[in-house]
Amino acid sequence: MEAEEANQGPRWKQSISRLRQKFKGGANANVARLRRRKAMISSLTRRLPFFKFALFVVGYIWMLAIPSPRLGRGTYIDENALQPSQVNTYWNWGDVHAADRYLEQLEALRDVNSTSEQRAHFLETEFKKLGLPASTQNYNFSSSAGLITGTNAYALLGSPRGAGTEAMVISASWLSRTGEGDGTLNLRGISTVLALAGFLKRYSLWAKDIVFVISDGYLDGMHAWLSEYHGSTHKNLQSDPVELTSGVIWTALNIDYPGHSFSHLGVFFEGLNGRLPNQDLLNSFQRISRNTGHVPVTVYDHIDPREAPQKVEGLVSNLPKILQDNPEIQAFSYQAKNVARHIGYQARGRASGVHGLFHEYRIDAITIFAIPATGPHGFHAIGRIVESTLRTMNNLLERLHASFFFFILTDHDRFMKIGNYLPSAVLISIAMMIQGLQTWVRAGWKGEDETKLNEKQDGSSGVTPTQQPKRRPVGRALAIMTVAHLVGLVVFTALTQRLFIENIQLLAPIMFILLATIPFIMANTIGDTGPLSLVLKSFNLCLASTVISIITVLNFSLASSLAVFLGIPLSITSSSSSILTRVIKTALYSMLGFGWLLLGHREILSAVHDWEVLQVWFAPFVCLVYVPLALQALTVCVL
Amino acid sequence: MLANFKISLFFICNLCLLVLANSSEQFDEELSIKSLQDGKVASKFSFKTLLKGASPKDPRTLGTDDESQHYTLFPLGLGQILREYGVTELHLTLNAGNWNYGRWGYPEEKGVGPGAELWVWMGDGAPNSIDHRWKGLRNALAGLFCASLGSLDEQCTTSPVRSFSPEGVLPDWDLPHQIRHASLPSEHVCTENLTPFLKLLPCKSLSGIASLLNPHRLFDADWHGMGIHVLWRGKEGIEVRLTFQSIMDPSRSSSKQKQDWSLQSLFDRAIDRTCPIAHSSLISVSLPSSGAHSITPEPSRVDSGSAIFDVATVPKPFNAAMNWPSDFEYQYDTSLTPLKIQRTLKGSSQARGQLSLVIANHGQVSQQVVYLETMPWLVQFYLHTLKTSVNGAESDAVISNITYIPAIPHSRPTTFEAVLLLPARSTTRLTMDVTKAFLRYTEHPPDAQRGWDLPPAVFTPIHGGQSQNATAGLPSERIYTPALLVDLATPDFSMPYNVIIFSCSLMAFLFGSIFNLLTRRFVVVHVGSGKQE
Amino acid sequence: MTLMSSSKTPSPPASTLNFSVVLSALVAARVALTLTGLPDVLRDDHQLASPLTSFSQLQEGIYLFNHGVDPYSGGTFRHSPLFLTLFATILPNSPRICSLLWTLCDGLGAWALVQIWRARQNVTSSERDGLIAAVYLFNPYIFLPTLALSTSSLENTLMLILLMFAARGKASPALLGLAFLVHFSLSSIVLLSPILLLLNTDQFSHLASPRPLATSIRKVVPLLGEFVVYFCLLALSSTLVSGGFAWIPQTWGATLMLPDLTPNPGLWWYFFTEIFDHFRPFFLMVFTVHLLIYIVPVCIKFQHDALYATFILLGIVGAFKAYPTLSDPGLFLSMISLFPEIYPYLRHPIVTSLLHLHAFLLLPLFHHLWLNQGTGNANFFYASTLVFACANGAAIIDCLWAGLRIAIGKPVEGYSIVQE
Repeated sequence: MEAEEANQGPRWKQSISRLRQKFKGGANANVARLRRRKAMISSLTRRLPFFKFALFVVGYIWMLAIPSPRLGRGTYIDENALQPSQVNTYWNWGDVHAADRYLEQLEALRDVNSTSEQRAHFLETEFKKLGLPASTQNYNFSSSAGLITGTNAYALLGSPRGAGTEAMVISASWLSRTGEGDGTLNLRGISTVLALAGFLKRYSLWAKDIVFVISDGYLDGMHAWLSEYHGSTHKNLQSDPVELTSGVIWTALNIDYPGHSFSHLGVFFEGLNGRLPNQDLLNSFQRISRNTGHVPVTVYDHIDPREAPQKVEGLVSNLPKILQDNPEIQAFSYQAKNVARHIGYQARGRASGVHGLFHEYRIDAITIFAIPATGPHGFHAIGRIVESTLRTMNNLLERLHASFFFFILTDHDRFMKIGNYLPSAVLISIAMMIQGLQTWVRAGWKGEDETKLNEKQDGSSGVTPTQQPKRRPVGRALAIMTVAHLVGLVVFTALTQRLFIENIQLLAPIMFILLATIPFIMANTIGDTGPLSLVLKSFNLCLASTVISIITVLNFSLASSLAVFLGIPLSITSSSSSILTRVIKTALYSMLGFGWLLLGHREILSAVHDWEVLQVWFAPFVCLVYVPLALQALTVCVL
Repeated sequence: MLANFKISLFFICNLCLLVLANSSEQFDEELSIKSLQDGKVASKFSFKTLLKGASPKDPRTLGTDDESQHYTLFPLGLGQILREYGVTELHLTLNAGNWNYGRWGYPEEKGVGPGAELWVWMGDGAPNSIDHRWKGLRNALAGLFCASLGSLDEQCTTSPVRSFSPEGVLPDWDLPHQIRHASLPSEHVCTENLTPFLKLLPCKSLSGIASLLNPHRLFDADWHGMGIHVLWRGKEGIEVRLTFQSIMDPSRSSSKQKQDWSLQSLFDRAIDRTCPIAHSSLISVSLPSSGAHSITPEPSRVDSGSAIFDVATVPKPFNAAMNWPSDFEYQYDTSLTPLKIQRTLKGSSQARGQLSLVIANHGQVSQQVVYLETMPWLVQFYLHTLKTSVNGAESDAVISNITYIPAIPHSRPTTFEAVLLLPARSTTRLTMDVTKAFLRYTEHPPDAQRGWDLPPAVFTPIHGGQSQNATAGLPSERIYTPALLVDLATPDFSMPYNVIIFSCSLMAFLFGSIFNLLTRRFVVVHVGSGKQE
Repeated sequence: MTLMSSSKTPSPPASTLNFSVVLSALVAARVALTLTGLPDVLRDDHQLASPLTSFSQLQEGIYLFNHGVDPYSGGTFRHSPLFLTLFATILPNSPRICSLLWTLCDGLGAWALVQIWRARQNVTSSERDGLIAAVYLFNPYIFLPTLALSTSSLENTLMLILLMFAARGKASPALLGLAFLVHFSLSSIVLLSPILLLLNTDQFSHLASPRPLATSIRKVVPLLGEFVVYFCLLALSSTLVSGGFAWIPQTWGATLMLPDLTPNPGLWWYFFTEIFDHFRPFFLMVFTVHLLIYIVPVCIKFQHDALYATFILLGIVGAFKAYPTLSDPGLFLSMISLFPEIYPYLRHPIVTSLLHLHAFLLLPLFHHLWLNQGTGNANFFYASTLVFACANGAAIIDCLWAGLRIAIGKPVEGYSIVQE
């Protein structure tokens, strides 16, 4: 204590002496307080590992339980103005006949395999015959995969006595979404739209303008049209301006009717970058289809096996019979299928249909997909359903806004609120954060004491922390992370090169090997390790946890996949002495981090295409966030 | 005493007779019907009352109480308002829908902007200021026509002199005349506005042409608009013109596409009585230049391509009808007006956007137009980003003598007036970045957040000697663009308490911990067993 | 700039050259950054440019000024008349050249920061120079607003230069700089007293050995007078160039009245969006006074090290001012590199940095969710601003604790430090 006072300022000496003589009580109180605090901290630190473990377990179990029928709840309409299926529909067999006429002409066009321009011109003239102002739009994209060109046709039905400030869109793309636009034509969808144009024009009850868009290609046509409509420019897109504009678009319906007739209507809703439409739109369509059109609705094109018991597929098929018949299991397997499909779309930021392009312009849109079957439904049913849905959209007084954008649709009439699924990923990220902080403390302790000792010698002069051997090597850890992210940037720029795209088979493995070797290079250049690997590990964990917990709000599927891929692996990284374990770890972590370079060539191509044409940030995210995290984990192991 | 009373009574009766006898007021009504190229039918009612020899009230005499007015035909309620606020010229239009210039040509009454529009010319020099009178006037009119004109407050009032030149004559008191203009695109026009409108007519809707004004049909039209125009015709006197225009679609009701119409089919009524006090009461049907068609009954006379019926003479009940033998074929190759204007607010962000204007001039001659943009302060212009291009080529020569009055938040709208020179057969593009304001939560309307309607832009083509036209009362065209809808970012309306609590407690926490460190003293205590491991 | 550094510091040429090379390399890297597409994307970002500092507003004002419309007659132009005349006459206002100019200003700021460091350590050059410059130039809170051409970056540079002069004891230039700074952003008035204190004491670090203020307060008065004179001159000149007093409510009034509720990372905007109208004046007063409360205690507590007091108050202003941008806390964070002696005593550095990491990622994301994507509402962004405020507060508290704790010296086995 004397030594203490020696090198203290006079004020402190006085203070302490005063403290000494004046009240011992105060000192005791302080001591007691400190003791309490210490006891608390130590007990907390003792419980932490268990707590962390519990968080991990609960989080993962929660994720597995998401498809369970017990967790979700029935869908309902939140926006009172919608009033779904409360109207008499007027669509009748005459209009069905008109649709058939259009279909014949379209099939004739298809048989002479006409060009985009010819098709667009035909559609334009058909619209004009109906007395609607119509026009066409040429566009072309240039991506590293090549050039995409096409022509859209669109028409505008101004609402009588309407100020033309709001609009609804009915669209159909030339290519159906079956097989992500593999060439199946959406002729019936288009003829439905044409017939609807003639039909809707006869009524004066529209409060909003109605825009009919027949987009060329699969996604590209609508992307060009929307970009021009909203005046957003893309450097690789040249397209004519949209001549006929209406007001603000709130909602849009995309009709996809590839087959001859249909048994169910499937609803697709995932948009670009994991954006979802307002759930009210889905729910009201679902009700209308059930009550007005008497057509059953399914999520995606998954027909519920429970409707047709004879053919059992998916999870259930390889279970014992007794379990197969358990309704709970059946429901779970069916909903698990839906959730898996959902995550597949959302995590990759993929749009599950043409509707997905509307979302980035704050337009709520869904695709109505007529699942091909041999009957019983056709133009009559879909016409009535679309008419009634449009009437519902027409009722809207304001943009769909209730916090109905975050949900997982486990079944056509069941969904999970954000509160029921978000915590799963957040719990895991919390566990990772705890682990990271723990590692940080562990990295500090041994270092700190020596630090203080040799600080005692040289006093607190302006020496930087990085110069001191035994303190936490924060600087070097940050340097490693910076390098890792720069590497990620390089990888991304490489991926978007035409050269790479063309001979990906050869270059991807090379890149894989390079990535796998980088950590060794860093480790060798750094040399002396000490607590460095611990510090790096803790930083890595904290960064990963931060990323996961923040992405959950934007794109839950992506966040949960990250939590699955990174949660445990990053937590168990550790530098090991024996060569064998090092090699194994290296192999495992590099497969985890960059395995997609070896296995997922098609994925890479489509992701790059999505990035270049549709600005889907899945590819940059993987390169700039995921790869660096994996690199750092690998570095921790080899240090 | 009694004799005295008799005498006075006698004189009073004489006086009344005199008033009736000398026809110092004249009432003319007219209905003109025209078939449009897209199969729709445009009809225009016009009821004109002329107060002979009268002149607008001199604003200097507003302080003193007015000499008594005797109106027999002239609408009293309107006349009182005009004199109360010393209005020289007044134009009020209540329209629903967008006038499609390309298909329907220029309207006969050019005030076709969506929603409500009110503009007046008033002489200065009154005891109380013009803005004060303007406020009173719009509130009085709001009461008279059951329209929410009261909300045409200073936040949307401008003075665009170039675009709204007076249509009548301004009296040459040596006083400056000023214009006040405001429009309310979100105003919905319906029967509650038509009823007071009919009350202003001498025959109400009981007889004559006015009896065709059947709300059930009028408000089912594709476009309809009513207008009240008061202007001074110099020596002739003060003219009040009440108009009702509508665009109807005969093919909508019938499944087969024919453009046949009759008064019965359009208005679901026929004329059974003439209005006895109408000086003239005519129905003119403009005949198509080509194509086989038949019109019944035989018109009273035909001149300059339009059949004219004199309602006073035709047999009652009167129901004119026009028929075409063939079905109707749409053709849209020709735009009836040389100018095609498209005005949009691009961008889907709630923070900023881009105002984009595309003007196609199909005409064979280059055209000069006055471009008027009045914008509420909710949308603020970035004038330095104004870009103009002709046929894709940048050119600043397009736009000239700009007058710009920047907006003041919560009080004054932006006024942007400029002259555009549109070359022949060219497409001119204007773009300008705008930012959207962020409002206090009390400034948002309590109803559904549909967005905010922005008033239309107004284009006034400049011809040689447009000014003489104006003074001669021949109106030059005026082109209104559709209104725009802008949605502003909204705060969470259910949150005020939470926000106050969160923010305050956070600041209190930081404040507390900082002062805790600054004020309390550090002490060293002996805790015995070393650091916690 | 590198020439200046080498000329201003007569020192072993090797290290100076070394530093100047490093600095020029860093600045070159920053220039390269401006050549990417980034600036156009960030231009009007609400976190980087507030209505008082946005470059678009400045350009609009210049346009109106050049076309004979009084920019202050409208509602939206809130820049100082000095900026207006400066950019309307001398300086270019094409974004390309401006981004270069802004970057060079940042380089100048970095150089000034290093000069402060050297003055504080009383060395002509040290190995840390390059590091300090890098910490300033590559702090995202600093270079993102610069890419967005927010004038708050210029204010930062001004701040650093005047601090450099103050640290060297050059009173007049320091006070002139401060007058400019206060003229541009009124809330900087908070820094007046610590800087006066700094001019009366020395700039060396006395954190470890606190002592009562040696000099008398009376010496402050002439400096204060000098500052007032400069300030009035600036106000007068801006009144002359703008031809009227309309600029005062538009610029200084905005700081006090908060007329523009455009979102920013600060605490004010959403509070005053949601506040009830009849409480508005009261809370405006509270929030304004709240900034001033800290001056006296901080100056008293750190009377032995005025530079540190300035540093702390900078942090407080950055956290609590009316129209903050990311660059205001950024300056505070970068200035931590001036005080390595406190590092061992920081309370929870990892927590603070994690808070800042979260805030830095959340702010743009929730802003996008609310305004562009429309799936989130205003509360999302509000929540992220709360996180940001927590991060700033935590940083201030860390530095306060460390700055006071260091005086007691190293912890010893069996003893620990508490506040009674």
